[in-house]
Amino acid sequence: MTIVIQIIFALIAMLILGSALMMVLAKNVIHSALWLIASFFGVGALYLLLQAEFLAVVQVLVYVGAISILILFAIMLTRAADLAGETGRQWNNRWWLSLAVAGLLFGALIVPTVIGETWNVAPTEVAGAAAGQATGIAGAAELGRGFVYEYLLQFQVIGVLLLVALIGAIVIAYDETARRRRVLTLAEELELKKRQEAREAKEAKQSRKGKGEKPLPAPVPTDTLSKGNEGNEGNEGLVVR
Amino acid sequence: MEQIQIPPVDLAVVAPLITVVGWAIVLLLVDVFFVPAGQKRITGYLGIAGLVMAGAVAAPLWGSDSSTFGGMLVLDNFALALTWIFLLIGAISMVIALDYLPRQGIEQGEFYPLIMFAVSAMMLLGQSANLIVMFLGIELLSITLYILTGFAYPRLSSEEAAMKYLLLGAFAAGFFVYGIALIYGQTGTVQLFSTAPGQESLAEYLGRQTFAAVDLTLLLVGSGLVLVAFGFKVALVPFHMWTPDVYEGAPTPVTAFMSVGTKGAALAALLRLLDMALPSLQPIWLPVLATLAAVTMLLGNLGAIAQSNVKRMLAYSSIGHAGYLLLGVMTVSERGVQGFLFYLLAYSLTNLGAFAVLIALEQRGEAAWSLDDFAGLWQRQPFLALAMAVFMLSLAGVPPTAGFVGKFYVFMAAWEGGLGWLALVGMLTSAIAAFFYLRVIARMFMQEPVRDVQPQLFRGLTLGISIAAAGTLIFGILPTLLINVVQQTALAVGR
Amino acid sequence: MTDAVPLSWVLGLSGALFCIGLFAALARRNLVGVLMGVELMLNAAIINMVAFWRYLEPRFITGQNFAIFIIAVAAAEAAVGLAMIIAIYRNWQTVKADEVDSLKG
Repeated sequence: MTIVIQIIFALIAMLILGSALMMVLAKNVIHSALWLIASFFGVGALYLLLQAEFLAVVQVLVYVGAISILILFAIMLTRAADLAGETGRQWNNRWWLSLAVAGLLFGALIVPTVIGETWNVAPTEVAGAAAGQATGIAGAAELGRGFVYEYLLQFQVIGVLLLVALIGAIVIAYDETARRRRVLTLAEELELKKRQEAREAKEAKQSRKGKGEKPLPAPVPTDTLSKGNEGNEGNEGLVVR
Repeated sequence: MEQIQIPPVDLAVVAPLITVVGWAIVLLLVDVFFVPAGQKRITGYLGIAGLVMAGAVAAPLWGSDSSTFGGMLVLDNFALALTWIFLLIGAISMVIALDYLPRQGIEQGEFYPLIMFAVSAMMLLGQSANLIVMFLGIELLSITLYILTGFAYPRLSSEEAAMKYLLLGAFAAGFFVYGIALIYGQTGTVQLFSTAPGQESLAEYLGRQTFAAVDLTLLLVGSGLVLVAFGFKVALVPFHMWTPDVYEGAPTPVTAFMSVGTKGAALAALLRLLDMALPSLQPIWLPVLATLAAVTMLLGNLGAIAQSNVKRMLAYSSIGHAGYLLLGVMTVSERGVQGFLFYLLAYSLTNLGAFAVLIALEQRGEAAWSLDDFAGLWQRQPFLALAMAVFMLSLAGVPPTAGFVGKFYVFMAAWEGGLGWLALVGMLTSAIAAFFYLRVIARMFMQEPVRDVQPQLFRGLTLGISIAAAGTLIFGILPTLLINVVQQTALAVGR
Repeated sequence: MTDAVPLSWVLGLSGALFCIGLFAALARRNLVGVLMGVELMLNAAIINMVAFWRYLEPRFITGQNFAIFIIAVAAAEAAVGLAMIIAIYRNWQTVKADEVDSLKG
């Protein structure tokens, strides 16, 4: 029995870590997201092995069912930018530094800590029963009771937190242009004024030249103002959409 | 099927918190259904009223020393003083935002309830005696602030700042949770200190153990990770990279709010963790924190010198001020706690005022924040120039301002706590800092205007600046007013 | 289960997952990739919580409750983060972390 569980654990660990690694290494973001889902599934399986059945279901529902789908949606909605850059690097220039930090944290801190520690492991059911100690594993019922009794405060705070996140997601992503009246910045207004003056000067010049000449094409419409400023990233609020 | 028990909850302990959260939720609905678009400042007035009400609700609780929710929330004078400071910060931020939002074309009613949620999260942090509650409080505060940072949505810099803040914040959350998990693994509890006899807690766990007998590696590593997370939230120096960008990009009232609120709340939580749960480990964490504080004060102020953009300069200087606040946190003493509270209030008033002055110079998305724009401000807007001079003097720690008394207080705490070298570093960096604060004053009073900047003052803004300036001066000239109050707080916290 | 697999194995697994997530969060250029890395980090912390619960005090529910709180926070953070990424994409036409960088000084 022991060896079977060990093999199952090894398989699950391989699934979790393997897909996590593939998620980091994959060039294509969509592949990354799919590997991430596999990794989440593996974690869910680990919870089953640890006899936290309810948590395993929550893991699948929330992580696989909600967060991953959200991530996939975000990727799809922002895909056009990626199509061109598919061949581009997936890591930034300082990736080796990040690798060093992560590697050091794992090799120098976590592994020695975990291995060197002696654990005060609770007795297993058989041993505990023999020693006359209470055993058993808390399940979903205790979990629910915990929410309304011991951890009522946290439960309420989580409620507020989810409310805030809900409002926030709407405030950020909901795009009603009419509601957000665009206000021209001073620089833009100045630019407009300049063009207006230039136009008037031109017209005045033309009228002096006489009636015979055809008027020049219409002056720069104000709408194109944003175009001229597009390269100017540092300026705030210059993108007119 | 057994009956589900409802835990006994001491409503007095949570009364201010419930007032703010409940009012914010009601306000959200009121805003949607009853406040017409374009009149959103009504929501702002209602929000301010809610904060004032919460302050009044908290008033009769002064002197109480109780806890509820199984000791997860405590109410002592320290928490109450923090509650009032946070309510004041929230109210002033709303007052200076009243005119700012419509002028920037980003007026939305959700702004005010979100500020209230952030204030409630800060109050929760000030009251929490449990690592998980602390984590949830920090996350509630952070998520609200991500949203508020990106509130000036079509403005690119605001979006960018929000994204940077979110990524760094989520990253820090990972560290925090991992650290809590390790602490839980070692001790089997996440309660900071026992509020009832027989209750499991970190303080009790450490009190039981003798150092030689048990290996505390896991607890130490966990606390280290938690400290890293706090470092990110408070912007201590190795973890401060995000601060200037985020503070510059965020809408100015939000910058003002988070530059004082986040630091105050997170450091208050850290103070409870260090002073009440882990005081016996002080020999281990003190050198680490002292180094962090020294580096923070030094690099924050040095970074500010190079800035010509005043908003960015204030962002760097706020990093430095986190270092001074940390001085009060790490000296486990009454004087340290008092110094922390005094400095927090002084710094909050001053910084809010300074950012409010920046709002007056910010017109329709065009920010006139470079040092040149301040030149000759005295001739155009004597009120603004005078107020800014008061704030700059207070930030620099020049008497007779509150900033001076605050600095004096925390330096004294550090000196008495055997950290004389750190107090010296603090004084040295204050001297460095005085250079760039006084530079602003010199520009305002001694130079002719360089650019055509027309500062605009509105009623709300004038009120906010006046309150901040008056507070800065009153607490600077008559510090005993505040010291008497603050001195009553330390007794409760040092149980 | 507790006999067959020592606790340190599970903790080692979660540590490795944490560090992989850390690397992803620090190194990926795509903003969505960064968020995915953060999710892995939080997952690793949850595994820790559950493991400590199962091995050290299976009769109490503390660890599992915390795990669910953390999952809720992670979901909230992901929702806000992804909304923000979409908003950024609308304005910047990019989701590369190093290209969204105009604030300097």
